Amino acid sequence: MPDFTWETQSPLRKALVVGRHGAGTGAAGVTLREVRDIALVQVMARRGQAAATAKAAKKLFGVEPPTSPKAVTAKTATLIWSGADQFLAFAPHSGDEFYAKLADTFAGIASLSDQSDGRCALHISGPRARDAMAKFCALDLHDTVFPVGAAASTAIDHTNASVWRSADEAGEAVYNLLVFTSFSDSLWHMIADAALEYGLDAGHVSAVQ
Amino acid sequence: MSGYTETQPLGRTATADGRASPDRSSAANQSHRLANGGLIDRQAPLQFSFDGKSMSGFAGDTLASALVANGVKLVARSFKYHRPRGIMTAGSEEPSALVEMRTGARKEANTRATTQELYDGLVASSQNRWPSLRRDFMAVNSLLSPIFVAGFYYKTFMWPAKFWEKLYEPAIRRAAGLGETAHLPDPDHYDKAWAHCDVLVVGSGATGLSAALAAGRAGARVILCEEDSHIGGRLLSDGGEIDGMPALDWLRRVTDELASLPNVRIMARTAVFGVYDGGDFGALERVNDHVPQPAEHQVRQRLWRIATRRSVVGAGAIERPIVFPGNDRPGVMMAAAVRTYINRFAAMPGKRIAVFTNNDDGWRTVEAVVRAGGEIAAVIDPRGKVPAAYRALADRSGLRVLPGQVVDVKGGVDGVRSITVATGSSTQNIDTDCLAASGGWNPNVALSSFHRGRPTWREDIAAFVPGVSPPGMIMAGAANGDLSLDACLRTGHAAGAMAAAETGAKGKSGNAAKAADEAFAIQPLWQVKAKGKAFVDFQHDVTASDVTLAQREGFESVEHLKRYTTLGMATDQGKNSNVTGLAIMADARGRSIAETGTTIYRPPYAPVAIGALAGHHRDQNFHAWRLTPSHHWAAERGAVFVDTGLWKRAQWFPLAGETDWLQSVKREVLAVRNGVGFCDVSTLGKVDVRGADAGTFLDRVYINGFSKLAVGKARYGLMLREDGIVMDDGTTSRLAEDHYLTTTTTAKAGPVTQHLEFCRQVLWPELDVQLSSATDQWAQFSIAGPRTRDLLINLVDPSEDVSNEGFPFMGVREVMLRGGMKARLFRISFSGEMAFEIAVPARYGEAMARNIMKAGEPFGVVPYGTEALGVMRIEKGHVAGPELNGMTTASDLGLGGMASKKKDFIGRIMAGREALMAPDRQVVVGIKPVDKARRLRSGAHVVPKGAIPGPETDQGYLTSVCFSPVLDHWIALALVERGRERIGEIVRICDPLRNEDYEAEICSPVFYDPEGGRQRA
Amino acid sequence: MRIACPFCGERDSSEFSYLGDASPKRPNFAVDSPNSPAEIEDAVFDYVYLRANVAGDMREYWYHGGGCRSWLIAERNTVTHEFKSVTAAPGAGAALAGQAGE
Repeated sequence: MPDFTWETQSPLRKALVVGRHGAGTGAAGVTLREVRDIALVQVMARRGQAAATAKAAKKLFGVEPPTSPKAVTAKTATLIWSGADQFLAFAPHSGDEFYAKLADTFAGIASLSDQSDGRCALHISGPRARDAMAKFCALDLHDTVFPVGAAASTAIDHTNASVWRSADEAGEAVYNLLVFTSFSDSLWHMIADAALEYGLDAGHVSAVQ
Repeated sequence: MSGYTETQPLGRTATADGRASPDRSSAANQSHRLANGGLIDRQAPLQFSFDGKSMSGFAGDTLASALVANGVKLVARSFKYHRPRGIMTAGSEEPSALVEMRTGARKEANTRATTQELYDGLVASSQNRWPSLRRDFMAVNSLLSPIFVAGFYYKTFMWPAKFWEKLYEPAIRRAAGLGETAHLPDPDHYDKAWAHCDVLVVGSGATGLSAALAAGRAGARVILCEEDSHIGGRLLSDGGEIDGMPALDWLRRVTDELASLPNVRIMARTAVFGVYDGGDFGALERVNDHVPQPAEHQVRQRLWRIATRRSVVGAGAIERPIVFPGNDRPGVMMAAAVRTYINRFAAMPGKRIAVFTNNDDGWRTVEAVVRAGGEIAAVIDPRGKVPAAYRALADRSGLRVLPGQVVDVKGGVDGVRSITVATGSSTQNIDTDCLAASGGWNPNVALSSFHRGRPTWREDIAAFVPGVSPPGMIMAGAANGDLSLDACLRTGHAAGAMAAAETGAKGKSGNAAKAADEAFAIQPLWQVKAKGKAFVDFQHDVTASDVTLAQREGFESVEHLKRYTTLGMATDQGKNSNVTGLAIMADARGRSIAETGTTIYRPPYAPVAIGALAGHHRDQNFHAWRLTPSHHWAAERGAVFVDTGLWKRAQWFPLAGETDWLQSVKREVLAVRNGVGFCDVSTLGKVDVRGADAGTFLDRVYINGFSKLAVGKARYGLMLREDGIVMDDGTTSRLAEDHYLTTTTTAKAGPVTQHLEFCRQVLWPELDVQLSSATDQWAQFSIAGPRTRDLLINLVDPSEDVSNEGFPFMGVREVMLRGGMKARLFRISFSGEMAFEIAVPARYGEAMARNIMKAGEPFGVVPYGTEALGVMRIEKGHVAGPELNGMTTASDLGLGGMASKKKDFIGRIMAGREALMAPDRQVVVGIKPVDKARRLRSGAHVVPKGAIPGPETDQGYLTSVCFSPVLDHWIALALVERGRERIGEIVRICDPLRNEDYEAEICSPVFYDPEGGRQRA
Repeated sequence: MRIACPFCGERDSSEFSYLGDASPKRPNFAVDSPNSPAEIEDAVFDYVYLRANVAGDMREYWYHGGGCRSWLIAERNTVTHEFKSVTAAPGAGAALAGQAGE
């Protein structure tokens, strides 16, 4: 009997070429990272169970899930608003453990959908990140409109995406994107294209520390 | 962030002592360049060529100003008559000075020389002439002008109609026209971007700057767009004094203050071309039109979609020509343009300039010429009196002022030589090489009118002013009919402050700047009625007599006038001709201008390249694409891909030596039918349907029932639209009591999800159901063929039972694979063979493909593509997209029996309508050719044997065809009238498109294993 | 143009798709309904096909498919394209709703 091994693959394994691209040679204007090894579960409150869902989430994560387009960071996960009475729980991949814990917590009060492989997570930062994003994202990302912790379910190049702003790094905004896995090769090309004129630093990181 | 940092508001001016450029020769060659002044950088000489002749100019020049400085008068030939034309204006309204810019793939036709910034090495050439601009043989058209009058094409090329496309149109297009396209792909990049603000200010003259400052100081987020490379608008040309300082000093102070405000963004070289619903504006930024070619990774142009709450439009006014014979000769220019060339560019358009004006503003040009040391040949003012403000000037300079009209202009290809002026009953000739003419000013009402707001006529300034503007838009300054500098500063400030306050800005706007309030008086003069060709629309060669002819022939409405004469339909959209044209029409009809009205204004205000509209989305990026989890694995095996919707799917996997797609597909089908093969089917839409009422929900959505489906089972389902027509099909599996996994067809995943959400949120909010797309979560493969179980035994953990008893047909469950991977296994078949679908999380897609290959190696497993998949489904008589065509019912597809009689479902009642139940409907059957060597093609029509093909004998068509490797001939599925009653009948198949006509037999749609034993083995 | 989704706030109109008049109410007929077949067919026919062509204010279904996937009911002026109000469909969130609240 042959040996079966189960290596994972990134949907960006062709599109993502690690390194410095585009204009200039110094520090890149845009830093783009694929975040690998993620766990992602969509949590949708059942009819009449929004309050119970929030309570259960509080118990599990230590924070209430957002009730408006926001992202809340807890110790073990980030909870991202994804629609009325539903949110995405985003965490480092841990086999089946994360989903199992949620299934246990939300049994009977919320429906879950495992999206750990359904979405590709990206991280966009750098001094020109917002200029690059203005080319493919119709959201107003101005500090007063989209501050740290803001989130949105939006459309990028006609496909759904979740966007949220996490804590600034080195005084600069950091935007996080979740895009459908099957679109990620296409969207990566578009995002990279948008960033080339500012200089692009492309790479990947693992969500698992 | 702001364009301001890259675009200095003012060019470096010459040193105080008027020291010439270090490159003396270049300045010396510029015969019409003034020694001093101008906002050009004399330290930065630039070489350029026009029609192969090398010339020089300075940084800060436009191509037009550099040509003026070099004394070039003739720059173009006109559209229809090939008349010599020069530079008329100094802005984006230019109708005449259109040139071809650049060469090779970057060649761009119809570029306005007046908006093209000069750069070192610029290459431009004239267009619409042969063999040269000076000796243009097509100028013969001018002699034929009687036949080129308005409506000529309509009247002449009517018969015979068939000659139009092949003969008349190409001939006309050759003779008349503008520049020529590059015929090569555009090598430059373009992109599109969104911008957001509270207040958008259009135009950066006195009005726009005041508005931006007022709004910016108040704290509103402001975007200031200026189409020119320099901020300042007419201030750059007209100077003057603001707040007690020279206007240019004020300009510098204001731009510095604006640049210091973090909430203000200045976008130079950005033309706002349209306003759309809800306060969205379109703007085109010419990022790199002012350099030979964009630096690597830079874009040529960028299209902005600006979302704003309020807008202030300070787009200024456009000077309008007077219509008189010869008014199109090179050297006849707009009076304000002459002023611009002198003041802004230090280029004197003539050695001896005549001014023809019916309003006070024209006198400012007289003043500018005199101040720059130029010679005024004469000032012709039909009003008969020198305006009070200019009397001292007239006396001091000893100006020759004639109270008359210009009735003729004489000259040749090199431009004006003399003009004829009529005063009362006498005429006189005056030698001049440049005639500066002003018929008054038209407020730039375009943006105000793009939502069908009709401009209104204002008698005191003899011009149309904005009517009802789109919501949130404030017109201010000259664009609103306030033609004095002080009024521009005042109304701009007020508009900016109001707009900011309306968006909630709380800061103080400060006070408006002040200037002396100069008078503006005008006595309308649209047309000098004298013999000779007098132009209204310079770009489309429409003359005053074309307008009056249109009136005589009954095309009196302005919309008819426009279409009959093509007035205002050229690339300049009639910016300086529309109002004049309708004024002449009003006169001809004996009506007022107000009664005559304007045509509808439509965006874009300025031409927008298709490349900019497309942005990133061209060539391979034309649209987004989706890749399956095994895409790269398939690509590495040499798969040929096909676009199915946005997906790229492996169509077949050619082996070495296979040269023909059919060869590969046959091999793949036979490998499955005789052994085992597998195919990535991850593209099928997958929807998680969860909640206590999930079963009830599916019962109402599908024609068949799902609430009683056992956990661990799958069932094929069919859903209808409300009108009773089939919407989609697919299998649904019950994974848990409250969890179903529904699949849709690849093409309908989006629409079906939307429909299910509608049902959940709108129709049955009382049901506890939650939906989520799981399409991208899973890498799913169909493994099919008689050796499938053997393969699976190698693949699954030995503890798993995949025997027919342990895993029966339509069973579903989670299994453990060797190597410790959990997978979902579904025993469903699309091919008619014993088959399973296996799903693992998408990140294991390639590993899954490799492991299937490994597990199936002993049985000769092959990957197969969508083509083999399609062949096997046709052999098996399964319907797909071509049959689910938005016109067929469940019973048309032979699936009527699936409909439950025990429950209501969407589409049930409408599906019962008489016409949808009629016995003569076209239903799905199989078709096989009588001559087995005959190739079938989809789309061919079915008519009774012996009938003459035609609409009345048409009985259906072939929907899906393939070559069946197991039957060794072509087969088809078809929709045929009463088809099921006609099994065995020979019919005639006609394909008039491909000229084919043959006989075929109607048969059962199930060509292969009709008993279905193989899939249950 | 931006449309104010009650959940997401103002969003570009390209995220939304339009379905049509929100006033017709879907008739429910059980398979054993006592109504006559003609009556049933007429009622459903009207629901499926009969629409007023309103020039002015209209209540319409919109779907925020490029956002939170909520079905919305918008009051919109079909002449000016002005949105007067946008509210959520009764079943958009998880709140308990009566049968066919619209």
